[in-house]
Amino acid sequence: MKSRSIVVTGIGVVTPIGTGRKVFWTNLLAGRCGIGPVRSFDTSAYKVHLGAEVRDFQPELYISNLDVAHLGRASQFAIAAARLALQDAKLELASLDRKRAGVSMGTTSGEPREVERFDDSFVARKLGQIGPEFLARYPSHVIAAHMAREFQLAGVNTMIPTACAAGNYAIAHAFDTLRAGRCDLMLAGGADAFSRITFTGFAQLGAIAPEICQPFDRCRKGMVPGEGAGVLVLESLDHAKGRGARIYAEVTGYGLSCDAHHMTAAHPNGDGAVRAMTQALEQSAVKPEEISYISAHGTGTPTNDRLETLAVKRVFKQAAYSIPISSIKSMLGHTMGAASAIEAAVCALAIHYNRIPATINFQQPDPDCDLDYVPNSARDHNVQIAMNNAYAFGGNNASVILKRCEVAN
Amino acid sequence: MRNRVVITGMGVVSSLGDSPIALHSSLCDGRSGARPIQLFDPAALACQLSAEVPSFDGQQYLSGRNLRPLNRTARLVASAAKLALQDSGWSEPLRCEEEVGLVLGTMFCSLQTISAFDRRALEAGPAFASPLDFSNTVINAAAGQTAIFHNLRGINSTISAGTTSGLQAISYAADVIRSGRSHVILAGGADELCFESFYGFERAGRLCRSDDSAGDFPIPFDSRRNGMVLGEGAALLVLEDAAYARERGVKAIAEIVGHGSSYDCSQGTDERHAAEAVASSVQQALIDAGVQPHEIDCLSASANGSPAGDRHEAQGVFLGLNGLTRHLPVTAIKSMLGETLGAAAALQTISLVETMLDGVLPGICNLQEVEADFPFNLASSDNREIDMRTGLINSVGFDGQCCSLVLSRSAKN
Repeated sequence: MKSRSIVVTGIGVVTPIGTGRKVFWTNLLAGRCGIGPVRSFDTSAYKVHLGAEVRDFQPELYISNLDVAHLGRASQFAIAAARLALQDAKLELASLDRKRAGVSMGTTSGEPREVERFDDSFVARKLGQIGPEFLARYPSHVIAAHMAREFQLAGVNTMIPTACAAGNYAIAHAFDTLRAGRCDLMLAGGADAFSRITFTGFAQLGAIAPEICQPFDRCRKGMVPGEGAGVLVLESLDHAKGRGARIYAEVTGYGLSCDAHHMTAAHPNGDGAVRAMTQALEQSAVKPEEISYISAHGTGTPTNDRLETLAVKRVFKQAAYSIPISSIKSMLGHTMGAASAIEAAVCALAIHYNRIPATINFQQPDPDCDLDYVPNSARDHNVQIAMNNAYAFGGNNASVILKRCEVAN
Repeated sequence: MRNRVVITGMGVVSSLGDSPIALHSSLCDGRSGARPIQLFDPAALACQLSAEVPSFDGQQYLSGRNLRPLNRTARLVASAAKLALQDSGWSEPLRCEEEVGLVLGTMFCSLQTISAFDRRALEAGPAFASPLDFSNTVINAAAGQTAIFHNLRGINSTISAGTTSGLQAISYAADVIRSGRSHVILAGGADELCFESFYGFERAGRLCRSDDSAGDFPIPFDSRRNGMVLGEGAALLVLEDAAYARERGVKAIAEIVGHGSSYDCSQGTDERHAAEAVASSVQQALIDAGVQPHEIDCLSASANGSPAGDRHEAQGVFLGLNGLTRHLPVTAIKSMLGETLGAAAALQTISLVETMLDGVLPGICNLQEVEADFPFNLASSDNREIDMRTGLINSVGFDGQCCSLVLSRSAKN
């Protein structure tokens, strides 16, 4: 009887607080903040100016088979994160059955800078500048395609653009693909590049924090758009054991739901979020009180954090007050489609190291947000099972549960 | 033990009709949806044809409700969803009781909305960009808007994989139902025509040239083919757990018995790799379905008239079916519908279900001379009468994604 367990064996991240698992984890636990004035474009026409950009990214370090000049920024992030994840997993690509290795990635905008270039040319009445590269670089599926081409992975290849919950969706799809026996190994995660379109939109929604991102704080004023990529190596437990891999955690289940309520506002009772968390717990055969850490969506907007708290309390009841819950978006900003992939990596690392990152910038408690948000300092904590929550435009809700893998210890 | 997945309803909005029967009869009449472009000013373009959904604004399907938040793609999807829900008896009260899911395949969702939002900010200043339009710039916007419109509270996912998006979405939904996670999901795909994507395809040299002696129509598998015509539409299937459908007393129209997918690591640049990727996807679908190559009664091909793409598919299917393609009835409905991107494979699926029901496989419009080394002796512009029990749907993307699906006549459910 083959085991149906799916495990995380490699982690690769490109984030505003560092690239690569070790640097990222160290900075995350130290409470380093990657938020600052936007440098990608001029924000003087805007009322807000903060962004969480990846600085000093050197794509040439990670991309060897494809021409960097032909790749959009999100694809570059994704390939870098994938290479780091494969290295972290100590995978010998040569020994891999390429037909049984695939890619499942999430994104909010794909390669938005390619559209922005199109629009710049259009407005300048110089559309003739746009050539065949537009179609080759822009559509979101090229991110997964470029990853597969760089690493020669001939299995399942898909892109799930479910906005800010996309990373969790992509991990869930990889989980199903592995469980169904369609592949032995999947690169799963999310990627997004800092985008003028995204920044403008959130600015117009009044959602961007003017000075500081402080999820769950009484004075929180908004989120901060960011960029990055997170990729996990997921494989069946048998495959991982067969090659003697280090196992960070097991993915035990997920829940997906739709509010069917509003494009940009969550359901007023958190209904969809409740259903996603409940399904994830049921599929994982885990009781609410067994969860030892919740990685919050925690964008820092007044509404999200209040409703997310409400939803967690509806699911976890009294236990909600004793489960640490933190938002790393206080440090990374909102990395969009990459966010929940990076946060899933954080859950795996929390389990592996028994450490929980903080919600930084937490100053004043809010009566509507009265849970343990791990304020300001990382914490030692026995993390057996972690829940990763993500919510998105379109009312898309996704919860993924990761658990310490008993076999591994 | 996994659950069986059946189709209990279909909804379609296309350039060739807004019901499965109308679509099928247009295809069997050899009608083409390609017409001079109406949706935008084609003055700057070399290719002047597209396969638009004529005079579509969604009102005819979605009347009585505020459609302002829905852009063209969302209206196409919400309309097809309405037709599919009606067809399968998923009334509004039933949708309150049961969580109906939606898995939508789309390549762009709405590039027009994304680009117009950005251009407004560029020209008038960011303070003039519309927050409502921003919510529609995300690629899952059409799925989100349709879920709100029809109260679809189940799994809501969007799959983007170029022209394979629709088939990947159906496969994804089928796996979710097989695993017992959901009972009912609307699955399929959609894309709209707009200037921005059209321009991208034209600049990439993928559209057929009107200055050529072959004329300006796409001719899949023909030796004279020189590109595709871009189209649009939406097609959704209601997929249900067979046992669940039986319990609610609904007839299964057909069954999805298997699917497979693969990636061409050469991204279409190497003929052998590209064909092997198609073959791998076909073989995996057959294995998943427990079907032998000789049991495949017909093929609905992805071919859209692209010089390289059609070749890769022809060779790949030949490999995947162990050479048993010479006497295989084959159709390529993109000869009439154009390349509808996210909608394409969902349209192929609906068309093949209709073939299964009435025994007529549409011919390949304008096909005169199958490329000499293509292994399809039966490909022709004539319709063919077949007794189809099991059919293969194939989808080959521009960037290496391949997907295949096996459809069967449903055992009495």
